[in-house]
Amino acid sequence: MHDEALFVVESQTDQAVMLTVRNGDVERISVLFHRHHRMLFNFFLRLTGNRSLSEDLVQEVFLRMLKYRQTFQPGSNFTAWMYQVARNAHIDHVRKWKLEVAPDEEPAWDDVAATAPDQHESLEHNQEIGLLRRALARLPVEKREVLVLSRFQNLKYEEIAQIMNCEIGTIKVRVFRAIRELSEIFYELSGERAS
Amino acid sequence: MKCNEVREQLPDYWTGKLDESERGELQAHFETCVHCRGEAEKLGSIWKKLGGIPEERPSRAARPRFEATLDAYVQGLRQAERGPGTGERLNKWLEGWWPRQPAYQFGFAVVFLAFGALVGHVFTSASQGSGELVRLREEVRNTRQLVTLSLLQQQSASERLKGVDWSSRISQPDPKVLSALLHTVDYDPNVNVRLAALDALHQSASNNMVREGLVDSLERQTSPLVQIAVIDLLVEIRQKEAADTLHEMAREPEINPEVRERAQWALGVLK
Repeated sequence: MHDEALFVVESQTDQAVMLTVRNGDVERISVLFHRHHRMLFNFFLRLTGNRSLSEDLVQEVFLRMLKYRQTFQPGSNFTAWMYQVARNAHIDHVRKWKLEVAPDEEPAWDDVAATAPDQHESLEHNQEIGLLRRALARLPVEKREVLVLSRFQNLKYEEIAQIMNCEIGTIKVRVFRAIRELSEIFYELSGERAS
Repeated sequence: MKCNEVREQLPDYWTGKLDESERGELQAHFETCVHCRGEAEKLGSIWKKLGGIPEERPSRAARPRFEATLDAYVQGLRQAERGPGTGERLNKWLEGWWPRQPAYQFGFAVVFLAFGALVGHVFTSASQGSGELVRLREEVRNTRQLVTLSLLQQQSASERLKGVDWSSRISQPDPKVLSALLHTVDYDPNVNVRLAALDALHQSASNNMVREGLVDSLERQTSPLVQIAVIDLLVEIRQKEAADTLHEMAREPEINPEVRERAQWALGVLK
């Protein structure tokens, strides 16, 4: 019986589960945590380059989702709503700690690189990944955000536009500008490494 | 198709999200625009490289940590539904009595302080003369004496030193303790314990038993260090009865020259 109930919960869409949470069954949020915490963790990790901070932010997001569960409207897109909450949590963190990443203040990726499962791949590939992470870290936070959302989080432009509260066309332009700036930083860092 | 429009389409082009006609239009543009073609290739390669950044796994502690937070949150919700507890109600009631104005708060604090001082005064004056307190003090004194006497008989020199130390905590040591200390000065095998006992006897120097005991002790001492310390103490307490012994010491050729010299000096002072 219990397994059957669990199966029903597991097979429910995110939106349906969130609506039950909204209607008072708050413990069901653990289903959403199970489904999305890893993706959110990687979202924050690519934004901050800091594992423990990213884990803290994931916890913060789910706590905020509980606190503000009444703001989730029936018929709305759960993923977009969740990333809105996540984005606000990150913005608040940046504001609070003034961690706006400046060119000389890159996030530390060392601990992440050490645990990356790419031990069997070539040294050159690892170095390239390291350079990309550094380049991503040097990107202004708003460009890093739009790039991470579009490249890594499997979100549609419509969803990103909803998360960032702007037009789809604006998002497309921002993604292009972000990748162009990332490319410039990447080749600049590659040149530094080569010289 | 304009260059601006092409740029907007590039991410979809790289991820293969464009339909065949859109893709055809883009490729037709690349045939004529070298700049866009170069940019599409260069940025496309970065876009592809980004896919190589591996996905990370959060720590195993993440889930139990969230479950604990959730439990606490649910408990908080249930408590809020039940209403405030007894402690909280009491706090609110007390809060109602506490004035909001800082001036009144200060006034309250002064009144409480004065009340506290009055109560303290009444209690201390009432108990000071009471027989119970006197009895208690006497018991403490007796216990200290017992500890001193017991420690002074220990085998270990450090234990005996502790005994000497305890004796200094007794405000007016009784004859038993004083004679134990004098015995220590006379016969303790350890020079340090003898010296410490001499120091402890200093506070009871007005006692005749101690004064006479020290004169007798001077005759028995063999260690120059203790001899000098006893002479110094006798000079300090002005024990003129020590003169005969000091004379003998000053004349005795076998005695340590420094002790002899000290005895002569003491005789000069005590004259």
